[in-house]
Amino acid sequence: MPSGALLFQSVILGLLLGGLYALLAAGLTLYFGIMRVVMIAHSAFLILAAYLAWWSHARLGVDPLLSMVVTVPLFFGLGVLLQRLLLARLRPVTLTMMSVLLTFAIAVLIEGLLGYAFTGTQRRIQLGYGSASLGLFGARIAVVKLIAFGLAAVALLTLYLLLKRTRFGWALRATIQHPDAARLLGIDTDRVASFGFGVGLATAAVGGTALALDTTIYPSLHWHWIGPLMAIIVVGGLGSVPGAAVAAMLLGLVQSLLQIPLGTTWAQTVFYLALFATLAFRPQGFFGGRLAQRF
Amino acid sequence: MPSASELSPAPAPAQRLAGLFRVVVIVALAAAVLSFPSWAPNPYILSAGIVVLNYAVLSTAWNFVGGFTGYISLGHGALAGLGGYATGLLVVRAGLPSFVALAVATLLVAVFAVPVGYAALRVRGASFVIVSIALVLILLLVFQSWASFTGGSRGLVVPRPFPGLLRPEHHRVFFYLFAALLAVALLVWWLVDRSRFGLGLKAIREDEDKAESLGTPTFGYKLVVFVVSAGFTGLAGGLYALWFGDLDPVFQFSILTGAYLVLMALLGGVRQLFGPLVGALIVGIGLEYFKVEFGNTPLHLVATGLLLALVVMFMPDGVLPALGALVDRFLRPAQSSIREVTAAELRDRATTGPDAGPATDPPPTVPVGAPDGRSTEQRS
Repeated sequence: MPSGALLFQSVILGLLLGGLYALLAAGLTLYFGIMRVVMIAHSAFLILAAYLAWWSHARLGVDPLLSMVVTVPLFFGLGVLLQRLLLARLRPVTLTMMSVLLTFAIAVLIEGLLGYAFTGTQRRIQLGYGSASLGLFGARIAVVKLIAFGLAAVALLTLYLLLKRTRFGWALRATIQHPDAARLLGIDTDRVASFGFGVGLATAAVGGTALALDTTIYPSLHWHWIGPLMAIIVVGGLGSVPGAAVAAMLLGLVQSLLQIPLGTTWAQTVFYLALFATLAFRPQGFFGGRLAQRF
Repeated sequence: MPSASELSPAPAPAQRLAGLFRVVVIVALAAAVLSFPSWAPNPYILSAGIVVLNYAVLSTAWNFVGGFTGYISLGHGALAGLGGYATGLLVVRAGLPSFVALAVATLLVAVFAVPVGYAALRVRGASFVIVSIALVLILLLVFQSWASFTGGSRGLVVPRPFPGLLRPEHHRVFFYLFAALLAVALLVWWLVDRSRFGLGLKAIREDEDKAESLGTPTFGYKLVVFVVSAGFTGLAGGLYALWFGDLDPVFQFSILTGAYLVLMALLGGVRQLFGPLVGALIVGIGLEYFKVEFGNTPLHLVATGLLLALVVMFMPDGVLPALGALVDRFLRPAQSSIREVTAAELRDRATTGPDAGPATDPPPTVPVGAPDGRSTEQRS
């Protein structure tokens, strides 16, 4: 039986991790809600953002957090272009399947270009506050993990306010709920969809920077992330942002707790087990997920 | 190629000519494949030929699911890897003879595919793809971590089934084994294509809800075809393990392999018997070339990504349909497209003569369950 302090530490770390997962999965949920697009390249963009953060720190000497001033708008623009130039041109009948292949191609392309530009060497940001940690009732929490969680919390709160309080958010939610009705009300759904896509990709810029603070990065790292993220959005119910957030927190917590008896590698299987269990017993997802039944 | 041209009662001379053309092409292709080992300049080229044939088998096996039902699996690479590892482990750990191990491994992969298919096929499209990706990642995780049993990252050495043979002879034997497997896979695909079962699968591809409401047992059909596809994939993977003799989880459970298979099938054309084969020839040769030219740089990833994106954006129907349309323009000017036809259209054609097909007189709306409903919108 593990000690109470260890359990407590695991719970704290699990919640911090879950917050980060929630941020990363939010983008995926947006894409699926807006366009029924399963964006395989999301985690590749995440790694791209992480590399940009690393590069700005190692080469330009800028704090990685400041790199977001550039990467967030850049990724927003990329998302808009991606939706306008590529995804919107696929045939509607086969959109879901073909978008998977197209975004898969983009992911492979990003991985190849990253490998070409930065080589396959593992990179890590060396920060002054990188090894600092806080003591909290006997648990030691690394400062970078807190910063990453803080970033995730701020980004998710901004996303929430954007969706609930702004005209753009209303239009976006209307487009997700019923595109035809939204068009009838005079909403330019194409424009809203492309901006929504941009917002989704902007979350990847934040998430990637948060990731870079605490992990060693290499070009093919995105395959390690795609599985857990996909599992989260399926468990949460495809297309449901709150569902994805709950699933992310829960799975992050379970993963962290399972690491005590099983070790880090086997603890990862919890995502896949949850994925298969969801599809076998409740295909529409355990939390929310009205859309999933048909897709 | 249109399956209707053989079914219609009185083929027009032009159609007969096209049929003859097909036979000539098929015979030439078979002759080229069978004689390849005797004119391959060196053992390396021969082994590259085996790799391409292996891709052709895998891609044809993939096409049982992708082509008939429209469900795109990115996880077939994992099924092949599982077949390879099952074969290797049965030989190494259980001491079975090589080809007995291969048969048992194929069976195991097919059995394994039942629960996977059960979970994955209950939901449509997107979730299926997600599960197929998850399958690759979880198997990679398991086979890498469970090193005491699988050898982990150190790899698993599979003893050769014919220890007496020299290397070039070994290649030659396996080349013919793969060619035979390809022939069987193509034959089975062809049989399914013109069966009632195949018709049900295509109905799922076009409109699953309608197919179900018309009484097609869609879930059972999907599951059966997925298991058949997995069986062929596992068999090819196992044969590869016996030939190559050295397995590594990173290469056996690579998501990239699955993507290559999809790329090949799409490029050649998923509705065509020989689509995946043509795609495998193009992509497989391209991959071997990239390997020689760029070695271990990540540029082959860039090339793969670009090619896949281009195919998805501009040629989702594949090369063969494009070529078929070209042939049609010269041989069958009366027909404007080479789409497959529905049973209703066939009956129509049988009563009013071969040239009164819908192609000369396109219907204003897409007929219910028309197998080519999705492309009529582009053509009409």
